[in-house]
Amino acid sequence: MGAKKVIEVPYVVELPVGPQHPALHEPLLLKAYAEGEEIVKVEINTGYNHRGIEKLAERNNFYRNIFICGRVCGICNTVHANCYTRALEYLLGVEPNNRAKYLRVVAMEFERIHSHMLINAIMAEILGFDSLFMNMMLDRERIMKAKEILTGNRVIGDYMMVGGVRRDVDEVKRDKLIKLLKQLRPRVEYYKKLFIEDETILKRLVDTGLLSRVNATKYSFVGPVARGSNVRIDVRASDKYDAYGDIPWNVITYKEGDSWARMMVRWDETLEAIDMCIYALEHLPSDGNPVPDERRLPRKFPEGESYARVEAQRGELTYYVMSTGGVNPYRVKIRTPSFLNVIHSAILYPGYSIADLPVIFVSLDPCIACMERVAVVDVDEGRRRLVRLKDLAKGVY
Amino acid sequence: MSVIEKLNALKKYFVEEYIIKPNRRVYVFKSEDLKALFQDLIKVFGYENFYVATIVGTDLISEGKIRLDYYVNLLPDEVTVVFRTYLPRENPTIDSLIDIIPGVLSGECETYDLVGVVFRGNEFLKRGFFVPKEFVEQKIYPLRKDVKV
Amino acid sequence: MGKPKILKLILKNFVSKPATLHYPLKEYRVIKFPYEHTLIEEDARGRHYADLTKCTGCSLCKLDCPADAIEMIPIPEGYEAPKINPRKIYPVVNYFRCVFCYRCVTICPVNAYITTSEYRLASPESIDSSQLSLSTLKKASGG
Ligand code: SF4
Ligand code: SF4
Repeated sequence: MGAKKVIEVPYVVELPVGPQHPALHEPLLLKAYAEGEEIVKVEINTGYNHRGIEKLAERNNFYRNIFICGRVCGICNTVHANCYTRALEYLLGVEPNNRAKYLRVVAMEFERIHSHMLINAIMAEILGFDSLFMNMMLDRERIMKAKEILTGNRVIGDYMMVGGVRRDVDEVKRDKLIKLLKQLRPRVEYYKKLFIEDETILKRLVDTGLLSRVNATKYSFVGPVARGSNVRIDVRASDKYDAYGDIPWNVITYKEGDSWARMMVRWDETLEAIDMCIYALEHLPSDGNPVPDERRLPRKFPEGESYARVEAQRGELTYYVMSTGGVNPYRVKIRTPSFLNVIHSAILYPGYSIADLPVIFVSLDPCIACMERVAVVDVDEGRRRLVRLKDLAKGVY
Repeated sequence: MSVIEKLNALKKYFVEEYIIKPNRRVYVFKSEDLKALFQDLIKVFGYENFYVATIVGTDLISEGKIRLDYYVNLLPDEVTVVFRTYLPRENPTIDSLIDIIPGVLSGECETYDLVGVVFRGNEFLKRGFFVPKEFVEQKIYPLRKDVKV
Repeated sequence: MGKPKILKLILKNFVSKPATLHYPLKEYRVIKFPYEHTLIEEDARGRHYADLTKCTGCSLCKLDCPADAIEMIPIPEGYEAPKINPRKIYPVVNYFRCVFCYRCVTICPVNAYITTSEYRLASPESIDSSQLSLSTLKKASGG
């Protein structure tokens, strides 16, 4: 009896990527199982970044929560605040005036521009293209400056308030902003061209992490990830909140469904956002003061529920706010886009090599701070301090 | 609205209908119908034309219930509708949708970890997905209203 | 195709001035750097403190501060508390906790806060606003 049968033992290596890993900028553990160089399975483990925003929100009053929600994530703070503020506005039945709506759009689009530039820069860095990363970050400074001029802070805007925005722009500031945007536009066009033409980038991005049209909805992917797979979802177009209904713009979709398409969606959206901002600033309506008097707002909220959606940079962001009448909300539920995109991303990796893993991961624009805002640390003092430190860390990425 | 008309095909499951702000339609259904409801939803819309956006579990402590909302976005016009059901607070269990709609994974895991709703048939459920270890050891669900943290 | 398109840009960067500022450093070996701090907008949200000639001690700012950074403490002896402040307390902002959202500034019924664009907070003297606030009082009461 010779050895007739050869039993093949699959040689699978378990490879933990993260939570502290040079290729991932976020604290998350991707447990990759690899056969040789090929990834066969990825497990996603979370829980390295604890925050208790939802419970915290139940214990603070409606207005304090605007700022707490704005600190769920440093990169997308104005959209968080906007979504929550609009949920409150639905409850109260107030509506900001047109000027405030335009200014809100400008603030949110600024944020989209800087966030998309950041993730594209990070992508360049992940690819080992550091000089491109440096140059993009340098040009991103312009938009950070613009945000500082508009909101008073480079990163955390704290710009939204119930019934309007927190500060107005005058003519001088407006011209400065338009000038900055006009300077930025050719730079973004140049980078977009690089992403289309440069071989180094194309070789790594094209056909990596394919996501089909049907899987995009079946697995609830949102934002640029879904739009890169030709799913036409954009809350700005469907809900037409704030001034998005008045300003001309297009929804960007790509058919390819790979990492490259997702990055291209972001570049096109950046250009689109720059044009939107210029349009909004040039056509700023002047129907009164956009800054409401915060002292006149009611402290108690009527009973009710509201569900606001907003198109954050990473996709659809939703806030559910329930009030039982009183000064504190009964329940606040935040569902951030990364929460869907990251947890469900396990289906994207199998079949690609280990070196592709960071590329696919970054192409989702992951934001762990957004995702893990659910757990709570007991100690009363420790909790608040923890939230703040994490925010500071987030703010500079 | 065509999407809403299409939803009429599912009318037999709904026991109540109302609207929450700003204009989201809420359809209340019985918790045992969950699976059949979503199977029909897939039949009517197809996988391409809807996605589950959020699952919200709310602890209604005064009524002794846990409310479970499925926020579903219907494409192509992206209409958000809410499928809402109530579970008893002592033993909140419901069928899992993971085998027909894999996109509910994150929502079900989170709702289990934080509110303590058990989704029957979801083998990915585990404590400590989001909450720290102390909570797992103390067996508490932080978003329940009677939990002080 | 061929060589990456970015080559030209990289070469240009080789010869141009550095884009970043050496913040605390004035000199390194033989190279001298222009000492500048980052230019910031006049109305950027920086360190703020209560003007005690206006503050009524109503504690509203403390109640609404999302970071719990404000503490109401009694005006120390040696300072003449203004009449509008019957409880003789004033808000002290702990800058290490403060997130500079300026909720306190906008909610104050008498607009008592003085805002500055000072963003460099790392100094041993001013971890909270008590000194700055009390300095407004000294002037008011003539020492
Ligand atoms: S700026 Fe905000 S965080 Fe700072 S003291 Fe005022 S209310 Fe508190
Ligand atoms: S809200 Fe204004 S008046 Fe009241 S304590 Fe604060 S600073 Fe003083």
